[in-house]
Amino acid sequence: MGEHGRTDSYRVATIGPIKDDNRTADGQYKTRRKPPAKKRKPGDLDDLKQELDIDFHKITPEELYQRFQTHPENGLSHAKAKENLERDGPNALTPPKQTPEWVKFCKNLFGGFALLLWIGAILCFIAYGIQASTVEEPADDNLYLGIVLAAVVIVTGIFSYYQESKSSKIMESFKNMVPQFATVIREGEKLTLRAEDLVLGDIVEVKFGDRIPADVRIIEARGFKVDNSSLTGESEPQSRGAEFTHENPLETKNLAFFSTNAVEGTAKGIVICCGDNTVMGRIAGLASGLDTGETPIAKEIHHFIHLITGVAVFLGVTFFLIAFILGYHWLDAVIFLIGIIVANVPEGLLATVTVCLTLTAKRMASKNCLVKNLEAVETLGSTSTICSDKTGTLTQNRMTVAHMWFDNQIIEADTTEDQSGVQYDRTSPGFKALAKIATLCNRAEFKGGQDGVPILKKEVAGDASEAALLKCMELALGDVLSIRKRNKKVCEIPFNSTNKYQVSIHESDDPSDPRHLLVMKGAPERILERCSTIFIGGKEKVLDEEMKEAFNNAYLELGGLGERVLGFCDLQLPSDKYPIGYKFNTDDPNFPLENLRFVGLMSMIDPPRAAVPDAVAKCRSAGIKVIMVTGDHPITAKAIAKSVGIISEGNETVEDIAARLNIPVSEVNPREAKAAVVHGTELRELNSDQLDEILKYHTEIVFARTSPQQKLIIVEGCQRLGAIVAVTGDGVNDSPALKKADIGVAMGIAGSDVSKQAADMILLDDNFASIVTGVEEGRLIFDNLKKSIAYTLTSNIPEISPFLAFILCDIPLPLGTVTILCIDLGTDMVPAISLAYEEAESDIMKRQPRNPFTDKLVNERLISMAYGQIGMIQAAAGFFVYFVIMAENGFLPTKLFGIRKQWDSKAINDLTDSYGQEWTYRDRKALEFTCHTAFFVSIVVVQWADLIICKTRRNSIIHQGMRNWALNFGLIFETALAAFLSYTPGMDKGLRMYPLKFVWWLPAIPFMLSIFIYDEIRRFYLRRNPGGWLEQETYY
Amino acid sequence: MIRNPRLQEFQIETKPERKPGRQKFTEFLRNTETGTILGRTPESWGKILIFYLIFYSALFALASICMVTFLQQYINPRVPRLQQDYGLIGTSPGLGFRPLPPDVRSTLIWYKGTGYESYKYWEDQLIDFLSVYKKKGQTAGAGQNIFNCDFKHSPPPGKVCDVDIQGWSPCIQENHFSYHLFSPCIFLKLNRIYGWRPEFYNDTRHLPKEMPKDLVSHIKNITAYNKDYANMVWISCQGETPADKENIGPITYLPYQGFPGYFYPYENAEGYLSPLVAIHLVKPNTGILINIECRAWAKNIKYDRKERLGVVHFELMLQ
Repeated sequence: MGEHGRTDSYRVATIGPIKDDNRTADGQYKTRRKPPAKKRKPGDLDDLKQELDIDFHKITPEELYQRFQTHPENGLSHAKAKENLERDGPNALTPPKQTPEWVKFCKNLFGGFALLLWIGAILCFIAYGIQASTVEEPADDNLYLGIVLAAVVIVTGIFSYYQESKSSKIMESFKNMVPQFATVIREGEKLTLRAEDLVLGDIVEVKFGDRIPADVRIIEARGFKVDNSSLTGESEPQSRGAEFTHENPLETKNLAFFSTNAVEGTAKGIVICCGDNTVMGRIAGLASGLDTGETPIAKEIHHFIHLITGVAVFLGVTFFLIAFILGYHWLDAVIFLIGIIVANVPEGLLATVTVCLTLTAKRMASKNCLVKNLEAVETLGSTSTICSDKTGTLTQNRMTVAHMWFDNQIIEADTTEDQSGVQYDRTSPGFKALAKIATLCNRAEFKGGQDGVPILKKEVAGDASEAALLKCMELALGDVLSIRKRNKKVCEIPFNSTNKYQVSIHESDDPSDPRHLLVMKGAPERILERCSTIFIGGKEKVLDEEMKEAFNNAYLELGGLGERVLGFCDLQLPSDKYPIGYKFNTDDPNFPLENLRFVGLMSMIDPPRAAVPDAVAKCRSAGIKVIMVTGDHPITAKAIAKSVGIISEGNETVEDIAARLNIPVSEVNPREAKAAVVHGTELRELNSDQLDEILKYHTEIVFARTSPQQKLIIVEGCQRLGAIVAVTGDGVNDSPALKKADIGVAMGIAGSDVSKQAADMILLDDNFASIVTGVEEGRLIFDNLKKSIAYTLTSNIPEISPFLAFILCDIPLPLGTVTILCIDLGTDMVPAISLAYEEAESDIMKRQPRNPFTDKLVNERLISMAYGQIGMIQAAAGFFVYFVIMAENGFLPTKLFGIRKQWDSKAINDLTDSYGQEWTYRDRKALEFTCHTAFFVSIVVVQWADLIICKTRRNSIIHQGMRNWALNFGLIFETALAAFLSYTPGMDKGLRMYPLKFVWWLPAIPFMLSIFIYDEIRRFYLRRNPGGWLEQETYY
Repeated sequence: MIRNPRLQEFQIETKPERKPGRQKFTEFLRNTETGTILGRTPESWGKILIFYLIFYSALFALASICMVTFLQQYINPRVPRLQQDYGLIGTSPGLGFRPLPPDVRSTLIWYKGTGYESYKYWEDQLIDFLSVYKKKGQTAGAGQNIFNCDFKHSPPPGKVCDVDIQGWSPCIQENHFSYHLFSPCIFLKLNRIYGWRPEFYNDTRHLPKEMPKDLVSHIKNITAYNKDYANMVWISCQGETPADKENIGPITYLPYQGFPGYFYPYENAEGYLSPLVAIHLVKPNTGILINIECRAWAKNIKYDRKERLGVVHFELMLQ
């Protein structure tokens, strides 16, 4: 801090003298979170989490110039600017730290099962090394196996790295790094500099269409308006000027923020914060500093890897010791260990999971959900809470006329995107008068070159409400432009915040009526004040108390719907006093602005998207709680929440109950109210327990006027309760919450780059309904991954059991390590992947989200099924084939037990079989490898049945059908591959696979059928006794 | 998906409280609260054990039915189902030697000094190996279906040929197989393959080029003496390297330098004895390792030193 030389510098102001007391700004205890491993100190992050606290907007301009040693006309000196630049660095956001590519690669190379396989490979090399140094002609087996294992690890590592980097490349398409320029005054000269070169104290000029280049205190403004929506979520442009209006820096008028857009006017300002210190920079820093934690599927996969690794290590070590006790040579024991590891680890499974997720990600991308992080594919499926932003996600993000009040009745306008809604009478004189005012007293215009575009989608130059009116009138009357042409505007007083009205005077298009028409619109109560008559049913009536009451009711009703209401009035100016050519003076109005004729009201809202209510209903039936979190006003938020079904019909908030029973809010039992609308200021007062209570006991919650920090607190609160939270948002203000959420969903069209950076998923069409598709896909892939894993794990038992029999029963090895790899990486792969294409068994959107604590991807029931039941039948099939081939060639089963040592000894060239025949080493090894091949083939055969039973977890296969063509292809593929491996010439040398007689494919068939029949029966009982013992023990 | 029925709409399971590992483990072993042992109540254990008992019994029954059906329907205890080239044993028999060293992976015959103790192991091995040849009786008629075969008289079906153990002299038990004289005898035998008939090199004009000269001349001599003697699976032994050839010294083959053809085919007849050739290494060099390779010669015996086809390898070391 010393280097700043001033105690009241920005950094001091933000950090403050208080040390981190492990509480957030609101005095709540921070959630337990691991400090990020980066250099960022924990206190630093909390600093970012605090609300913005600066004083640049409060002090006088003179003090400000003093502080920055600058001048409002001449700006900084070049020397000073250079000095500042050197001190503070460029005015740009530090890009989020990227994990170096090689670290990512290493993670893929050594993560998961890879470590176990590396151990296997290294053991192989050691065994080979020892053999090579002790025996003259070492068998190449171990070297060979070691190389294969290492190759497997490296190939799968490269594969998953490739997949990962491919999906992370999606982001690059979003980066539009157009260099920004800013107009700066230095030493009295206007310069155009790159925005990065701005420094504190620079005087900058901004005009409409520009991006604000840094945080700026306005010193001069002319009709200056900025769009803060990306920062605060407010959808309307905010006017900005030199005056200090609010303590809160985000609300005061004299600050404009980095990366927001100037929409109207021009301004001159002094740069007060640069780069990472800007409000935007702080939010981006907050987002990148957050520890996001593992995705649910990553947790599941880790859980599963731990489980399998545990089993592998346990079995490996146990049999290593048993081998020692049985008196095996230690090198043999090591080879057993390798075999057990290889048999236990489903080598191809992680690649399978990656492919399954990729397939789903692709499918989701075609449905407008772009997934940045593969694992996020499933996260949506386990989501139990969605915190949705309102503007742009739930709503269309465009003001639309929703209601009109004229002739003393409220008329509903059509707000749907495709104009399929209600129609109204467009011929009544009341409407005509109202329409004329709305058309004429309106400065908005369609932008050029949009001929083919539907009216509602056309871009408009001008204010959002005026645009709404323009579109409404274009729809109702047709060509607004020609109407305006026919009624030439002769003078106009634009809207300003003191008058709160806008007035214009037009020539008449009626040749028989030379009178000028004065039209006015503005805040309804202000308009009413200026009226003395009211136009009802085509007649002008005196505005009496009764009519005022009617006006008030209508005004309140529309306001209560969360709509922005405008009042409209007009006056035909008498032609004698105001003839054509009369000089109207707007500075000193020489025409009447009182005693006008009131015509009606029009109210506007940003209407919900058409598909949203349906989507929200789907979420509800899927057990997902939808919370609205918005920066908008509570009334508007509540209205939208009600119209999309976030607050369902008949559910009341505490305030509603209080109003209905006519009692104070404090007397209402909060538990009675299912719905809640929480204001940002209320939220600030709550401690975490109270927040938890709100989140727990209200099923329908709307948070309004929330700051980015509060969004984060809400997300953390939900997570604290154990929910898996999805957050949608488009603004910079949403990015910390997006990052913190289990899955952040950014908007592809309206979303800011920062929000897209922070998100895991991008909705290309900005439509909330696409999330529902995502949820559905996520749930489906979770189910299908279970099936895929069940399928893959099953073959582990027939892979391990030969080794155990080899060690314990001293029989020749029934299945070799190479054949195991052929199953895991060959024949099992395509079928396992094909299960990702399986259709859902039931309506997955009608059940509750999974419980992340108990509903595991791989649970004991799955293991019990795969290992304990189906796997055992498969092993029996394999051993049966083994004994058949041995017996047919002369070794009856009884002969095999205890023969292992002689069998594997190269020195013995005359091993006797059951018929007195004597076998050379080479011949019996050929027999052994034929057995390996046959065992392998029989696993393929029983895996047919396994694949078919894995298609369903509850339904009968007859019900499910065989329409999954990927799976049918998988069946054919694995068979063809097995035949290829067995019959291709040269395989006996390469993979030690020998051609089989056709009949040797058959012994596994009774076992295959029994797997199929057993599981059909099991599932039949599952369906007949839902929740019964069998379900508790075998339904995975 | 099994869901806690106590939960209302939208209510989510809250995070289970974290317990320290030790407590978790002891609770897993025995949880008095829920009455579970190793994660299950005794009742639950009972049910799952009964389930698996039934399941595995059924599986065992299935496997047994398959196995028994197969063995009874397809397997003849006297005749192998797949013979010669139909099975994997093939039609090219290998060679075996006796005595075998104690370590099954080794092929080294090694002893030190001429004392009884030093060669006892080897002698015992041979006594054990040859006991079946002795037991059957020395002469025809003692064994039930032993037939006194010669080159003119092949055994009738069901009968087996006798092996004359006296023809091995001096490689006989009474002579300690000559081990005590540092001139050990090693017995060679051709692997039995059911139904295999050798195709003899019985035409002296068409002997393979690679056949050792002494064997060629032996064949010529013996066929000149008696043409029937040509129907033999010939045996030749020699050192592997030139040095070994030096060190091995003279070799005598007893009773013939080959396996007489009348022993074939082997058809698993009761009491069948493989013909043996005793190799008497008359005066091998001592104190040095000698690699010896013996090869069987017939037209249908393939030879490949690397694959150990039609050949047997062993080492001899006398000290």
